[in-house]
Amino acid sequence: MEQKCYIYSPDDSDERASKRRRIACAAGWSLREQLYGEFWAPLEHRIQTQSTLEEADSTTLEKIIKFVSGAVVAPDRQEAVIPTGLILAGSSIASHRSFFDRLGRKIVLDTGSTFVLLTSGECLNLKALVKSLIKKLTSRVGGNDDEEDEEDEEDENHTGNVSRIGPKLRDYDLVRLQEWYSKTKVDSIVVAIQDSEAFDFSVLAEMAELLSSWMDRLPFLLLFGIATSSESFQSNLSGAALRLLKGEEFNVTQADDIFEKIFCTTVGSPEVSLYLGPDLSRRLVDRQKDHVQSVQDFSDAVKYAYMCHFYANPLSVFLSQSLAFGEMPHDVWEATRNLPSFRRWVNTLLEDGRAKEVRRLLESDRYLYDNIKHHIASGQTAMFKLVSATSVLAAIRVIVQKVPHVPRSSLYIRSTSGELNGSPLIREMLLMLSKVSSDTFSSVLTSMELLQNSYVPIDIAVYRRELDALIKRNPNSTPLRSQHDVKNNSLRTTIVAQKVQLSKHKSTLSELDSSYSELVRRFHDDVENYFEETLIDPRDLFLSEILLYDLKSPLSEVFAPKPRFAIERALSSPHDYLGCDCCSSSEGALSGTQPVTAILYQLYLESGSIINVNDLWMAFHAIIGEENDESESNAMALFEQALANLKFLGLVKESKRKADHISKTTWKGL
Amino acid sequence: MKRKLTKDEPRTPTRKRTRASAPDEEEENGVIPAVETPSRRTRGQHSLSEDIRHEKVNGVKDSVLNGVNEHGTPKSLRKVLFSTPTKPRDEESANGTPTIVRNADRSARRKSTRRLIERTINGDESDEGEDEEALVEQILGEEGEDEEERDGLEDIDQEGEPAPETPSKRGRGRPKTKPRKQHSPTPPQNLPAHEEYFWQNRPGGTKTSNNIMSSRILLAYDEYRDAIKAYKDPHAAEEEFLLELHSRSFDQWIFELQEGFNICLYGYGSKRPLTKMFAAHLYEHLSNKPPYSTSKQKPKIVIINGFWRGIRSFITIKDILTTVASSVFPPNTKFSSQPATLLTSILTYLNENPPPRPLPIILNSIDFPALRRSPIPSILAQLSAHSSINLICTADTPNFPLLWDLGQRAQFRFLFHDATTFAPYDAEIDVVDSVNQLLGRSGMKLSGRDGVSHVLRSLPVNARLVFRILVTEQLALFAIDGTADSGADEGEEPDFATTATPRHETNPASRKGESTAAIGVDYYGAYRKAVEELACTSEVGFRQLLKEFFDHQMIESRKDVAGKERLLVPFRREELEEMKNELTNEEDF
Repeated sequence: MEQKCYIYSPDDSDERASKRRRIACAAGWSLREQLYGEFWAPLEHRIQTQSTLEEADSTTLEKIIKFVSGAVVAPDRQEAVIPTGLILAGSSIASHRSFFDRLGRKIVLDTGSTFVLLTSGECLNLKALVKSLIKKLTSRVGGNDDEEDEEDEEDENHTGNVSRIGPKLRDYDLVRLQEWYSKTKVDSIVVAIQDSEAFDFSVLAEMAELLSSWMDRLPFLLLFGIATSSESFQSNLSGAALRLLKGEEFNVTQADDIFEKIFCTTVGSPEVSLYLGPDLSRRLVDRQKDHVQSVQDFSDAVKYAYMCHFYANPLSVFLSQSLAFGEMPHDVWEATRNLPSFRRWVNTLLEDGRAKEVRRLLESDRYLYDNIKHHIASGQTAMFKLVSATSVLAAIRVIVQKVPHVPRSSLYIRSTSGELNGSPLIREMLLMLSKVSSDTFSSVLTSMELLQNSYVPIDIAVYRRELDALIKRNPNSTPLRSQHDVKNNSLRTTIVAQKVQLSKHKSTLSELDSSYSELVRRFHDDVENYFEETLIDPRDLFLSEILLYDLKSPLSEVFAPKPRFAIERALSSPHDYLGCDCCSSSEGALSGTQPVTAILYQLYLESGSIINVNDLWMAFHAIIGEENDESESNAMALFEQALANLKFLGLVKESKRKADHISKTTWKGL
Repeated sequence: MKRKLTKDEPRTPTRKRTRASAPDEEEENGVIPAVETPSRRTRGQHSLSEDIRHEKVNGVKDSVLNGVNEHGTPKSLRKVLFSTPTKPRDEESANGTPTIVRNADRSARRKSTRRLIERTINGDESDEGEDEEALVEQILGEEGEDEEERDGLEDIDQEGEPAPETPSKRGRGRPKTKPRKQHSPTPPQNLPAHEEYFWQNRPGGTKTSNNIMSSRILLAYDEYRDAIKAYKDPHAAEEEFLLELHSRSFDQWIFELQEGFNICLYGYGSKRPLTKMFAAHLYEHLSNKPPYSTSKQKPKIVIINGFWRGIRSFITIKDILTTVASSVFPPNTKFSSQPATLLTSILTYLNENPPPRPLPIILNSIDFPALRRSPIPSILAQLSAHSSINLICTADTPNFPLLWDLGQRAQFRFLFHDATTFAPYDAEIDVVDSVNQLLGRSGMKLSGRDGVSHVLRSLPVNARLVFRILVTEQLALFAIDGTADSGADEGEEPDFATTATPRHETNPASRKGESTAAIGVDYYGAYRKAVEELACTSEVGFRQLLKEFFDHQMIESRKDVAGKERLLVPFRREELEEMKNELTNEEDF
């Protein structure tokens, strides 16, 4: 029998452990492990600084705080209306909690108010709501002070309970709160309802009524977290309750947007040194949107991708900038020569008739090393340019109006899969760019100036100077227009020989306008060339396997396992796992050589929702008996073992419907 | 409303005969007319007219037909009596009753008829069951059942079927459609998963035989142990290879742990040997790293067996936390026994004095029932979320990720690895126990009836008296069950509740899926009886007598729907009868 819990001591299976010692990957791995550290640490740091999400929704927080501090009125007011903030926190409920936590901290810090967060779980009815409200508030002040107070109170209640407050107060009596309030004198009591949709709306209405009746004594302020819309929230509350609330609406940055920001500054940033490929990034983004929606998970996934790259790909040592030829592990050269991208590259070399070079590549490790070094550097530059171009594209698209919004992450995915060059997205953007008026153009230039750490070969400053000069010469306040702008054309209808002629006429452009048009055209051409040059398909690069990590295999299984599928597969076709000779012949069919639980499982699959155990045993015995001439009791032992296994896995349970029957609980593949 | 048509192909019955025994078919043939639908009447089946007229004249159609064509046993007469009224055809309505009138009472008649038929068929099946061959086939989806099951689906299509040629060869009045002919052991092949679910859960779909597992055939502990010991797993080599394959990932796992992830292993087979090997590997790995390589300090690896089972206890969260605490805190530290406080003190201690290397915890079977209850997963999640704790756990059940909500999942930071080993769950399962439990024979713990009589012999007379009262009462309940089940003739089990027939109304008990005998004897009733028979004088005394039985798990206590206590002797009827005989005999002497 196994022990319950114990501390491992090695003598248990010492010789076995030593047998397992492996030396194979040792040499390269320590190098790569070190590299992994160098590569991952800055990225992790960046995710972490970025994910101090405060930055992302700080404006909303500011607004709410302004509202809270603005709502503070003299405590002796007579109005019974509660100031209310409706916080539209978006549909991703998972992020609400953290938002309200931050909000609470900030409110307590920046204003003279206290903050209570109520969730639907603790407020099943009004009594429970008020109880937890009072409890949370009165225990807030913290420390021993509070406890003493309470004890004092208890004492008072105990000794002279009739004299001062009358009978002992119930723990849901707001008089308690009033007492507490008179001691602390906060500006206002902010009551936040985190998940308003999950509340019983009659409870919310009752709460509004109750709190408003106390407004002359206690300065309440309500904040509702709303996942749907303020309209649906209003329609759920009764009119009487609504009249007691004086609302203001706040929009919180959605989790999607926050994620988008984090994606841009981390994975989609040009400066990273290992790029994630399009398939993997798409998976990450989809998973983030559909399932997890937490920055931690995203960070974990990216981290694991890095780990996989460096752990499983021995060639990743080439990413190191400092390693000399002699320090490289020996096996990498042969491995490099087997890379698909190496073959592709060599083929193009051969087509160019550079057979000598190819021969040298195949024969000399040293020569290969130099080439790899060179290509890694050039590949990294190409990747850098590519991702920079993506951010330029995104920046211009944001400013040039009238183009549909495409998230940055999807731009990244498209660019790394090489789809972007010449795509409608680019053409559309270029078209709009040729039509911009001078003020928009100016902001395009500004945003491109702001793009740091990106590769932009266009000399923005020159354009800026010329534009400034033009604007200076512009006598009126209207912005300069480009000649391609449709607004400058007017349609003229003329009747010539009884036929209507529609003709476009360029409205006369001023001399200024035409020189501006010239400027825009030049810029447009520059940008076009720039995209043409940078938007390559990174997978065509030599050594793209090293520069780009794009394997979905370990990542998806490791984070989203399919345990049920694994077990069903193991039991229904054990050969997949065992790879034995005896069971392979019967593909998908029963055979007596399979593991006993697998046999029983397949019989189980064939039966209905309740199973007669005796019949099952007969069938089992027939199959087992065929192959190995087992005695009945031995077969029975195997049967019992298999049955107990099925039960342990939760596939069957006892049935009371009939004697000696068990009921089936799972269906394969569901 | 089921409409059943007879459309026969001469081949089918022949085919059938090879498989089923002759009397069966006999019965089946006798049954046919009842299942027929009026719709058939409208279709002039001229090929049949001769036969039908013949039937009309005789009044007893099928028996005659059977008599002519087959064995003609009188057996079928029995059912035919009921089925006649449904049969008449419009063209030759000899009885002259207006159609409307006949239509009106047809439904009721048909109802009762069908009930009878169903009974008969079921009865047959149980007869068949004695035949081993037939049984095996039955499980594999034997045709007899097959056909039964198909009824519901097929009789709609049947409307358009061509008329049968010879009614005499009707096999159960069920026409054959194309897919039927290709007989296969599994009813419908290659159904998509959801279709298969609905197929197997369709009303009336679960017809199983009434065979009972003979108690003798089930193994006792020692028998099981011997048998398993003698068994040589033919796949031992492959399992060893799987293990070796998994062990190649050890270094990877260590790297993952080092990076702050926790590991969860899943897949079929016990993963205990694997984690054991991993512990050894990890131990060695840690020993070679500072500070363990430079000092005399030994690395600590906590191993927890979640599946641990005591006499009547399971592992608790307290056990886990204390073990962790003992390896975290310096020796001779006193710590709380309250799990929540212990957890916080562990976490704060780790925060304040982070160990040089994270403490690995290997937890086997994190999804074992004992570890599923409410606070435990969240405590484990909080524990493993700490950066100084590395958790390596294994999970056995297929749906274990449902144990954790999004928050806990985030705390766990699991990386999942498929570690299918095919190793037997030796330590995890008590096979004999769990099979007995599955079959509702918890009494088997005493190695059956013999054990009980052994215990009884050592008890005073009045205790034996009380036990006899319980047994007798429970047997009486069995008897009531038997009669309450309308026409549960031939010792049939009381429940065919799933057959979706009007029988539902007749036996609410079976409808609920539980017979009264299964609930047990009313506690106060039994007490009163005991007082009457002078076995005891007070309830306290009665309880004391019962206690001995509880201790030996000879009786079980349950609450019924109304909340009343009920006592149950967890044995089957035959065993109870034997016990009763034994007890009464003893008294006689």
